[in-house]
Amino acid sequence: MTPEEFNIELYWSLIDIVNGLLTGSVIGGYYAMISIGLAMTFGVMRLVNLAHGDFIIVGAYLAVVMLNFLPVSPFFTLIIVVPLMFCLGYVLQRVLINHVSVQAMERKGLSTNYGLMAPILVTFGLGIFISHLLLGIFESDARQLKNSLAFSAIRISEDLNISLLRFIFFVIGVIILIALHLYLNRTHAGRAIRAASDDAEISPLMGINTAHVYGLALGISMAIAGAAGVMIGMIRTFQPFDGPQFLLIAFGAVIIGGLGSIVGSLVGGILLGITQVLAGTYFGPSAQLVGGYMLILFVLAFKPQGLFSR
Amino acid sequence: MADTILTVQGLSKAFGALRVAENVSFEVEEGEILGIIGPNGAGKTTIFAMLAGNLPMDDGQIMLHGQDISSTPAHERSRLGLARTYQVPKPFTHMTVFENLKVAALFGGGLEEVECEGWISQVLDLTGMASARDTLAGRLPLLLRKRHELARALATRPSILLVDEVAAGLTDLEVDEFIALIQEIQLSGITVIWIEHVMKTMLTATDRLMALAGGRLIASGAPQDVIASEEVRRVYLGV
Repeated sequence: MTPEEFNIELYWSLIDIVNGLLTGSVIGGYYAMISIGLAMTFGVMRLVNLAHGDFIIVGAYLAVVMLNFLPVSPFFTLIIVVPLMFCLGYVLQRVLINHVSVQAMERKGLSTNYGLMAPILVTFGLGIFISHLLLGIFESDARQLKNSLAFSAIRISEDLNISLLRFIFFVIGVIILIALHLYLNRTHAGRAIRAASDDAEISPLMGINTAHVYGLALGISMAIAGAAGVMIGMIRTFQPFDGPQFLLIAFGAVIIGGLGSIVGSLVGGILLGITQVLAGTYFGPSAQLVGGYMLILFVLAFKPQGLFSR
Repeated sequence: MADTILTVQGLSKAFGALRVAENVSFEVEEGEILGIIGPNGAGKTTIFAMLAGNLPMDDGQIMLHGQDISSTPAHERSRLGLARTYQVPKPFTHMTVFENLKVAALFGGGLEEVECEGWISQVLDLTGMASARDTLAGRLPLLLRKRHELARALATRPSILLVDEVAAGLTDLEVDEFIALIQEIQLSGITVIWIEHVMKTMLTATDRLMALAGGRLIASGAPQDVIASEEVRRVYLGV
């Protein structure tokens, strides 16, 4: 190997690493959007929401419906999809999940172990119901939210590009995280959510209506899931049964970041993204998912409470 | 004679075959300190849980200010002026003392944001917590946790305060401080129902005493008389 060849070799391995870090981080922002909602409902009310991935897909299909009537950029569908998903989440929590929640089971005097199972089973069933409902309405054709930015890239150097859409989603993901943080720490409703999350038994004694607070929490979780769904629909195709794969990503980010930690889900998402891209670069595309799961296993083995657990 | 603030009629609760409250009836007069004593498992804390709305009762009626609150949820009872503290203090551990009290003042006390600051300072001064204002509640030492528990309950601006065992495990001096504090709370116009095992508190601080055993009310009246009654002596001393 001549010195020149060596330099080229070095250059490309550097590009690989920088690309892995950049693309991985950007993908991580998008993973964070997928997982914040899951982290939030778990953190606030210990709800393991197995329908979370299906909610994401619902968001994407709501955008499909809207774009049928209004041929605008998919970004504009967020104006309708996000509030609509919030309302759906609020109602769902109040009419269904509050009655089968861990807290409801505890009130009925059932043990916590048993109580944890009820909402898991209910959301599992809800996920199956939603995906079949979507199949019934939209059939199994793969859909996409067409947009002009799908193939645009940000060029950092001659050999280094990142997808513009993914970067936009990263920015939106970070903005959502900051907004959520401010909401939880600066507003009355946010304080009530934190109090209810801290102690569900005491909060009512402080005048907090936990049924309402939990409604808000699932509403926010679903609103963010809806936004994530719209973005996923802009990057790739989706089908009614795609929910569980997003649920898995969300679980991954949440496990790495720490159950119930919102910042943790961003860091967890970024670590997961970087690991996947680097594993893909060095060991081939099939190693991407394996690499991600290895990281999850590693965290579970050595820091099972997650990196940012409260 | 003072007005009746709380009326409890035929309060009953069973966990399976275990009867933790059996047809308990009593009245509380505005402004008094009513003590509740009884051996462990007598149903004292269970009664608090039912009064505060944490635990649904099987049977009975609770009237607050003449209003039937038997099926009112806990958060609305808090807004109506009922507050409860726990024997093992339960602060919102991830919030500062100030934030804990603010939540209580905003939601339970129905205060506006601008009114909170002054009100909370007042409560912190009364309970001797002013210096711990910005401490994370989870980091408070036990004694301050107990004060915090009272402070947060007071921040909901209650008309009636249910106090569950603050004196357990404290030194004599600390117990005296709590007696003084509860008496100050009474002076500020709040009615107090106080569960305690430490007899000194019950004898010196209460206006009236009730004794429970096995979920039933076995004696009620002036503190000295209740302590001296046959029934209470039998339950406590087995004589």
